[in-house]
Amino acid sequence: MMTNSNQRLTQGQFSFLPDLTDTQITAQLEYALKKGWAIGVEYTDDPHPRNTYWEMFGNPMFDLKDAAGALMEINSCRKTFPSHYIRVTAFDATRGVESPTMSYLVNRPAKEPGFGLVRQEVDNRAIRYTIHSYATDKPEGERY
Amino acid sequence: MSNDMSDAPITDGKKRYASGVLKYKQMGYWQPDYVPKETDLIALFRITPQEGVPADECAAAVAGESSTATWTVVWTDRLTACELYRAKAYRVDPVPNTGHGTKTEQQYFAYIAYDLDLFEPGSIANMTASIIGNVFGFKAVKALRLEDMRIPVAYLKTFQGPATGVVVERERLDKFGRPLLGATTKPKLGLSGRNYGRVVYEGLKGGLDFMKDDENINSQPFMHWRDRFLYCMEAVNRASAATGEVKGHYLNVTAGTMEEMYARAEFAKSLGSVIIMIDLVIGYTAIQSMAIWARKNDMILHLHRAGNSTYSRQKNHGMNFRVICKWMRMAGVDHIHAGTVVGKLEGDPLMIRGFYDTLLDTHTPQQLEKGLFFEQNWASLNKVMPVASGGIHAGQMHQLLTYLGDDVVLQFGGGTIGHPQGIQAGATANRVALEAMVMARNEGRDIWNEGPQILRDAGKWCTPLKQALDIWGDVTFNYESTDTADYAPTPTASV
Amino acid sequence: MDAVKTVDLQAIVRDSNVTEVLDQLDRELVGLAPVKRRIREIAAYLAVTRARKQLGLEAAAPSLHMCFTGNPGTGKTTVALRMAEILHRLGYVRKGHVVSVTRDDLVGQYIGHTAPKTKEVLKKAMGGVLFIDEAYYLYRPENERDYGQESIEILLQIMENNRDDLVVILAGYKNRMDTFFSSNPGMSSRIAHHIDFPDYSQPELLSIAGKMVGAMNYRFDAEAETAMGDYIGRRLTQPNFANARSVRNALDRARLRQANRLFAGVGEGALNVTAEDLSTLSASDILASRVFDAPDSAERT
Repeated sequence: MMTNSNQRLTQGQFSFLPDLTDTQITAQLEYALKKGWAIGVEYTDDPHPRNTYWEMFGNPMFDLKDAAGALMEINSCRKTFPSHYIRVTAFDATRGVESPTMSYLVNRPAKEPGFGLVRQEVDNRAIRYTIHSYATDKPEGERY
Repeated sequence: MSNDMSDAPITDGKKRYASGVLKYKQMGYWQPDYVPKETDLIALFRITPQEGVPADECAAAVAGESSTATWTVVWTDRLTACELYRAKAYRVDPVPNTGHGTKTEQQYFAYIAYDLDLFEPGSIANMTASIIGNVFGFKAVKALRLEDMRIPVAYLKTFQGPATGVVVERERLDKFGRPLLGATTKPKLGLSGRNYGRVVYEGLKGGLDFMKDDENINSQPFMHWRDRFLYCMEAVNRASAATGEVKGHYLNVTAGTMEEMYARAEFAKSLGSVIIMIDLVIGYTAIQSMAIWARKNDMILHLHRAGNSTYSRQKNHGMNFRVICKWMRMAGVDHIHAGTVVGKLEGDPLMIRGFYDTLLDTHTPQQLEKGLFFEQNWASLNKVMPVASGGIHAGQMHQLLTYLGDDVVLQFGGGTIGHPQGIQAGATANRVALEAMVMARNEGRDIWNEGPQILRDAGKWCTPLKQALDIWGDVTFNYESTDTADYAPTPTASV
Repeated sequence: MDAVKTVDLQAIVRDSNVTEVLDQLDRELVGLAPVKRRIREIAAYLAVTRARKQLGLEAAAPSLHMCFTGNPGTGKTTVALRMAEILHRLGYVRKGHVVSVTRDDLVGQYIGHTAPKTKEVLKKAMGGVLFIDEAYYLYRPENERDYGQESIEILLQIMENNRDDLVVILAGYKNRMDTFFSSNPGMSSRIAHHIDFPDYSQPELLSIAGKMVGAMNYRFDAEAETAMGDYIGRRLTQPNFANARSVRNALDRARLRQANRLFAGVGEGALNVTAEDLSTLSASDILASRVFDAPDSAERT
């Protein structure tokens, strides 16, 4: 079990708030669409903080006019991977950004075992740290 | 402005270069018809002339003393393409709300253009040695302030720019769509390495992205630097494992020599830190060197603007902070403290926005109300992340987000560590307040007016936030700013 | 004692500015009286439905999917755009845009290709209207393994489950659409409104030609207008006639001939042309059409 204040993984921009309702997700999607950002849905069962490349649930969605299409994909991803971490990422193609501009979780497993810290003591009291996800002791697809 | 014939530039070579003393205008440093070239560097000075010295002569004197002139005529000028090297004062405007009938003596904005060849490529030190080298002590002016600069693209391209930049920093930290959160470890001085790391661990585990050394935490008898680095990295990694997030602590590598700074930076790197820190007082050259080291070693470089207020705060003398912002973006830092608007340190909202724009824009238009006198193309130099630090707390979150936007590190030192339920609770209060406010803003709510209610609502399910609001909710620092923009709003012509 | 609850039907119509769209439809489209009547009926129905909802009378959202049948060039696409606007103003779709597609946009070439393609289109259409031209091509009974069926099934599912998110308008020739519906009863049962677009009469087409010429910043001189009337009379009895579209094509060719005529004039010494010369189509520009050659020679639409 995770021991931080909300006892869960806090990646993403809204992880300290109660889980987002579909209405709240729709509002955030509309915010992104109004800015002209593309919307991607990604999932993983390896939430290591350095795991950049979660699996894409289809390519990012460009040229959407309304949030309903993206919400449909989110719900379809939740149905397919009910116990995975799922995040929504918004991409801004503006010169000078060309990078994600939003990222928030919309699904997480019921039980989150969290991470352990592996220390390797080296010279001069220095320590090499490895963050280890307990879930990844099992093979992909059997973790949550 | 006087313009009698006796002051006109002397074009006859024999007279111009005869031994003796000439007025700067006569020497050709005042050229009201001059049109600056794309490649010219332009400086805007605020001049308070000595009694009896006309403003254009004063501007010419500043141009002269910051470029080729000395107090007397020298024949050796004639061995050079001196027309090119001479800086040209080409415009002088009276500063609005100064002079007769006001509390301030008459001041002038003087525009001076410098040819690109006056400066060594890629050297802040060389550029500043010219522009602010001697001239600020010059007797012809009572006071002098460098307000703004237009740096030509050609010159910008000789600088590396920010080692990491806002975009890559966010990608490395995996944090998007909200301001970052930090706190300075307190008390500033006296904690042992072990106790110090405790504060870092608690703050990061509670929900902050960064903790920070203060500007004067280097290597003192109570805590030597290696000890601090080791304990802080234990704290960072423990907090990262506890939350599943990337975390960081700005390890201040400021030291007495470059050799020592490199040694400390190397050690920070070997421990896996994502960020190091330096102070402005180490000097421009040292900053540029550390920026190059940081680029080479994938390190984010935080700059504390220690010392800047000695010359940036008073309106009539010194230099405006926006100029420091420009120089630091060129020099290559990734973070710089640039004001909070609402906190305990100096800052008018529009002026601060001007600093932020200078750090973050790819192209800044002229905006006199923000104190931005020149259009500035940033020539693809990375963006610098502004840091808002000093006397801010969770109860101001709606104001901070409105004034400062998403690309900023909000640092709540006292507002985290002073929480009655402990440091973790303080950090959680700040993170919840921030996320609730970003969510509300994105939903289209009017956070400026509804902000306090949004925070109270979040406080209903987040006790640490409720406690923070109960203690600090009403704390404000309402002092008048000393540094505000001086401009006369141009009335738009009615059609 | 509670007063009888009332709802101001006029206010609904007024606040939504829906009459503005209906008037625009009247102005910009010549003829089509039965179509315009049906659109007004639908608009009234939607306004009433909203009023009922305000009084708590309506339970489920009404099905709004439609079918526009008629020959090419009878104004189906234009009416679809206005319909989207009406639906938007009355609050039945959130954004009011139209995504116009054909079979190629929906159906893939190999296994696993169709579902993502159809979904991609549906996602872009959400909040607005999905206009599927010649929708019957989705169904190819002669090929058992045609992927069109997969697309139809996804469409049906979304048409049923996402009624609040989008309105689908199918369009095409009447007889083919009838055949399509008879073999796809699922689709047929989900279409609430059928609107048939009649062919235009000769005077209507001439009036359309007048509007088009005006919009192109040209004008007919008196003889040219007569010639255009003759042209239309001949053309509409010929094969491949496509109503307003054929008129537009004829006008494009007349402009080419006018340009040629002006150039030839330069060769003959007329060096200066006036704005009037540049914008006038004369009878010769129209009479040169092959439609006038022989009774049987068909010109391409």
